Amino acid sequence: MKTTVVSREYKELQSKIIKLQESWKNSVHADGVNPNLDKAAMAAGVPVVALADIHFEIPLFLQWIKELEELLVNQNPALSASFEILNDKLTETVAHQWIEEALSFNQSYFNEFARETGLEEWLPYFLAESAVRPYLQILAEKAQPEIHKAEPRCGCQVCGEPVRIAQLEGEGQKVVYCPRCTVHWRDKRVACSHCGNNDHKTVENMNVEGEAAAQIQVCEKCHGYTKVIDTRQYITKPTVAILDLTTIHLDFIAQERGYTSGGSPKGKN
Amino acid sequence: MAAEYVKYVDVTKCDGCRACMVACKNWNDLPAEPQDFLGTMQSHANVSADTWNVLTFVEHENSKGGLDYLFRHSSCYHCSDAACEKVCPENAISYTEFGTVVIDQDTCVGCGYCVQNCPFDVISLKEYKDKNGKEYRKAHKCTMCTDRLEEGLQPACVTTCHTGAMEFGGKDAMIEKAEERVKEIKDRYPNAMVYNPEGVGGTHTIYVLAERPSVYGMPENPKVPTSAVLWKDYAQPIGKMMIGATTMAVVGAFISNKLFNKEGNGTHEDGGESDE
Repeated sequence: MKTTVVSREYKELQSKIIKLQESWKNSVHADGVNPNLDKAAMAAGVPVVALADIHFEIPLFLQWIKELEELLVNQNPALSASFEILNDKLTETVAHQWIEEALSFNQSYFNEFARETGLEEWLPYFLAESAVRPYLQILAEKAQPEIHKAEPRCGCQVCGEPVRIAQLEGEGQKVVYCPRCTVHWRDKRVACSHCGNNDHKTVENMNVEGEAAAQIQVCEKCHGYTKVIDTRQYITKPTVAILDLTTIHLDFIAQERGYTSGGSPKGKN
Repeated sequence: MAAEYVKYVDVTKCDGCRACMVACKNWNDLPAEPQDFLGTMQSHANVSADTWNVLTFVEHENSKGGLDYLFRHSSCYHCSDAACEKVCPENAISYTEFGTVVIDQDTCVGCGYCVQNCPFDVISLKEYKDKNGKEYRKAHKCTMCTDRLEEGLQPACVTTCHTGAMEFGGKDAMIEKAEERVKEIKDRYPNAMVYNPEGVGGTHTIYVLAERPSVYGMPENPKVPTSAVLWKDYAQPIGKMMIGATTMAVVGAFISNKLFNKEGNGTHEDGGESDE
């Protein structure tokens, strides 16, 4: 019943990156990350990170990029040439810019950076996103006690990532997890986690053949989808990032059928 | 090497709902086997080629003169030293990286040696007909949902158990849990014990029993039959060394006789009495 399309090697690489991020989190001064929770702003759908006071330690950030370089080059030696170019370009000023653009999902900035420097298109954004996550996760841990729900169509309350994955826990409660910052909140079992629609006639669960513990919940109103994984069936519960990765085939299935991660404001694609 | 896992079954928490049987049928796509009424709540007399786990119901008079209705999830024990694996002449039965014992259906020739030598009676043969009408047989039993384990999922029966009578986890953790549970229930069930028989090298389904194993129809001290050890550990290697045909014929005849003569092969010499 092998359903995941992710190779063992890639999964192992991602697991190593997640381990690195865990260790990086421990090296950050937690006092330098303050959520500044503003309930009115949160109710308006402003992600916590937008108002948070975060002291980014640039030398640490650059060190993390070096550690990622080591890991990636070890996996694929051909990348060493790209890192030689990057090491010349990645100054403290650029690192600041990377953090800012990664937090605001500015993919076009990174695409442009890659084009200008002659790097592979995926590399700058991948590095920036990987190295910014420890800060987001510390922020999420601090904000977690105040995160009980998400505002419709606003994505993750902490980092703004579109909703993509939920887990069934305990007696079957649906708990939405952000695979980026790992903050989580409960949601109704039969409800669209994007637009809040809870009409059972327009919220459906798609079953995928051979998939024992996962469904795709789709909304016919906003055309959003959420992967719902019954993690109670797992021997060892994987991290949400790994779970998101190993169920990527469900994203393809949903998107091929016209559903989007985040839904569409007008209910159309 | 993957972790070695154990299915933990605490019969004192089982309420006999049989959801484990349904989950097994469902996951493994096994057909229903309608049965005549057996005079008890038990649906099937024993496991079969299409029913890999059976909830047994035993009426038992306890030491205080009261009646206990004992339920038990019964399926393959996945022995660490499995007789079925030893006797299989085609090497169709093997251990997985998780410690489970599985039958390769493509290699199985349906000889029935495994059925004859299993100390727990949990393997069955199923008859098939090919497109030319020729009959053939294959051995079947619980796989501990090895296909699910490969995906990091627990066996189907465990995930469906609503009382928490079944759990799945690392071998040491589950054994420790069972030992702790026995301590907890000793006041209520003085004969309570962990069933993880050493005679088969320990098993990958361990039980917390409220009474002696024989009360549940389980062998008290199951062992790998001597003939099975002879076959796997001596006769097959000798055969491979191609020593004299006459010697092999004598050894082979002796062992074949033992493999098919279940009553005399020592399997149940130390076994318990069935309540069925």
